[in-house]
Amino acid sequence: MLDSGKLLLAVKDLRTYFFTEEGIAKAVDGVDFEVYEGETLGIVGESACGKSVTAFSIMKLLDYPGKTVGGEVIFKGENLLEKSEEEMRRIRGKEIAMIFQEPMTALNPILTVGFQISEALMAHFKMSKEEARDRSIELLKKVGIPLPEQRVNEYPYQLSGGMRQRVMIAMALSCDPSLLIADEPTTALDVTIQAQILDLMRSLLQGFKGALIMITHDLGVIAEIADRIAVMYAGKVVEYTDKRTIFYYPLHPYTFGLLTSIPRLDLELPRLNAIPGVVPDPLHFPAGCKFNPRCRFVTERCKEEEPSLVKVEEGHSVRCWNVERVSKEAKEGLLVGEV
Amino acid sequence: MNRTLKKLFSNTASLIGIILLFIFVIIALFAPLIAPPLTDDSYQIPRMSWEVNPQPPGFPMSEDIRAIYDYMGVEVRYDKAIFGTAEGGYDIFYGLIWGTRTAFRVGLITVIISVLIGILVGSFSGYFGGWLDEILMRITDIFLSFPFLVAAMVLTTILGRGLDKVMIALIAFGWMGYARLIRGSILATKEETYVTAAKALGVKDVKIIGKHLLPNTIFPVMVQATMNIGSMVITAAALSFLGVGAPVGYADWGQMVSFARNWIIGAPGHAGQYWYTVFYPGIFIVLFVLAWNLVGDTLRDILDPRLRGEL
Repeated sequence: MLDSGKLLLAVKDLRTYFFTEEGIAKAVDGVDFEVYEGETLGIVGESACGKSVTAFSIMKLLDYPGKTVGGEVIFKGENLLEKSEEEMRRIRGKEIAMIFQEPMTALNPILTVGFQISEALMAHFKMSKEEARDRSIELLKKVGIPLPEQRVNEYPYQLSGGMRQRVMIAMALSCDPSLLIADEPTTALDVTIQAQILDLMRSLLQGFKGALIMITHDLGVIAEIADRIAVMYAGKVVEYTDKRTIFYYPLHPYTFGLLTSIPRLDLELPRLNAIPGVVPDPLHFPAGCKFNPRCRFVTERCKEEEPSLVKVEEGHSVRCWNVERVSKEAKEGLLVGEV
Repeated sequence: MNRTLKKLFSNTASLIGIILLFIFVIIALFAPLIAPPLTDDSYQIPRMSWEVNPQPPGFPMSEDIRAIYDYMGVEVRYDKAIFGTAEGGYDIFYGLIWGTRTAFRVGLITVIISVLIGILVGSFSGYFGGWLDEILMRITDIFLSFPFLVAAMVLTTILGRGLDKVMIALIAFGWMGYARLIRGSILATKEETYVTAAKALGVKDVKIIGKHLLPNTIFPVMVQATMNIGSMVITAAALSFLGVGAPVGYADWGQMVSFARNWIIGAPGHAGQYWYTVFYPGIFIVLFVLAWNLVGDTLRDILDPRLRGEL
């Protein structure tokens, strides 16, 4: 079990609902996890599992109709959910920063790259324009942008997708945050650029004292970068443990399904495995365990009663009634080759 | 921006507009040379005769008036009514030249202040939403429910005569369109990821509005504002024509038209005898408004991507 540093962030029973005209969509409905200093937490799940909403809830960036209705977000000993908007503004960017999914839309097309990096610096530190500019150039250099003195005056449209994501990373790191939330930072990029960005993030993490929350649906990314992993399904954490355990001893059928659907070159499979069905609509969740309509291990109990997140051993929690059966099959089916 | 300027100058219609505006600017700037004032109050139109009837173009200053200036020790550098005189001997040419300054002042000040109020109301309303939006928009609705000209007239009447009062009235009932326009654009733009990204960096709301939202939403307002400068001048002229605008004798185009009111038809048997009383002021007003509209039209064509043929 990793026990690297002090507890930095503890999310307890976070609930964020969207109050739409069709009804209440429980996008995040009971999420628990901890992030320790110097550690990387990976949040995995399919699209529409509430991963991004969790991130936005931590930063309190959700607008109507989204509302965090319950739970606690304890950051450095203080509950962020009780902070005022102005207190949150001082925390955003400086203490907790975020890297967005789409570097194309997350940069303002009519402002220079340099301005957008300086903006955060000037919002949090008493810095003159020139100082902020110098620091921006430094940051651009740090994230591996060639000719930073020139790039700093360019507009987003003059940069490629990978460059833009590097700029986003520079923006997020500008104020040395304690916690960095990366919301699918590589999803919108092509594969070679993805690898470059991941390499960059990994090398930056070495010199980064804070913690990282990496949100992704890509288990490969998680395998490369995360220390601890929370698997989310339909607004809930269904399995929470360290990276090694997730890949070798998954105990939740959903985690198991995700792992078996990774395309593998070392096995001769007639066709790619997939989890049947789709993530349920948050307006119409099934009764009982929310994964039951798609689950291979489903029993009568799953359809009636929802399991809670149970600690099966130190540092490994699962939300499932059939842990033994999953465990048995996982051991037989998965332990082939290296992950 | 360079492209915008280039198009403004290459389009015939807008070129005419720009040339006209340029001429008006020259007239306004060099008013003291074109029509040298005879008293300290240069906006006071000099009278060329004491006659009630308008005098024809080329009418020289009457002897008794010249005697007064001589008595006051004023050098009369301006003594001929090139465009004739209006009712009461007020010199039309002088009124029009100095009235150009008035027109610019009324047009620009009312529109700029209205736009500023509109930006303030619209951006706060659109950005913060909720109850603030509700309150600000209901206030806007209330102001919009008054017919513009009638409301401006009533307010000017209450405030009293004078150009500044006219401007206050025009601003008071002229900002709502901009507010709505800005609010709409902000509502659309604030959903962009870069706005959330700026928020996530802890950028202050006011800065997000000023640096991220307004520059992306201001163009339609600029077009609207340019077109409205002309109509503000027309409305101010209308108020003067109706007798609630500029004080009597003040160099203002509306006032000039108002002087012509009793003489438009001409004398019995001599239809159109006093044509100059209405023709010259009318031409100035029409050209001024036309110039702004031509420029505004072209601006809209340039800034609207649908008309630009790019979408």
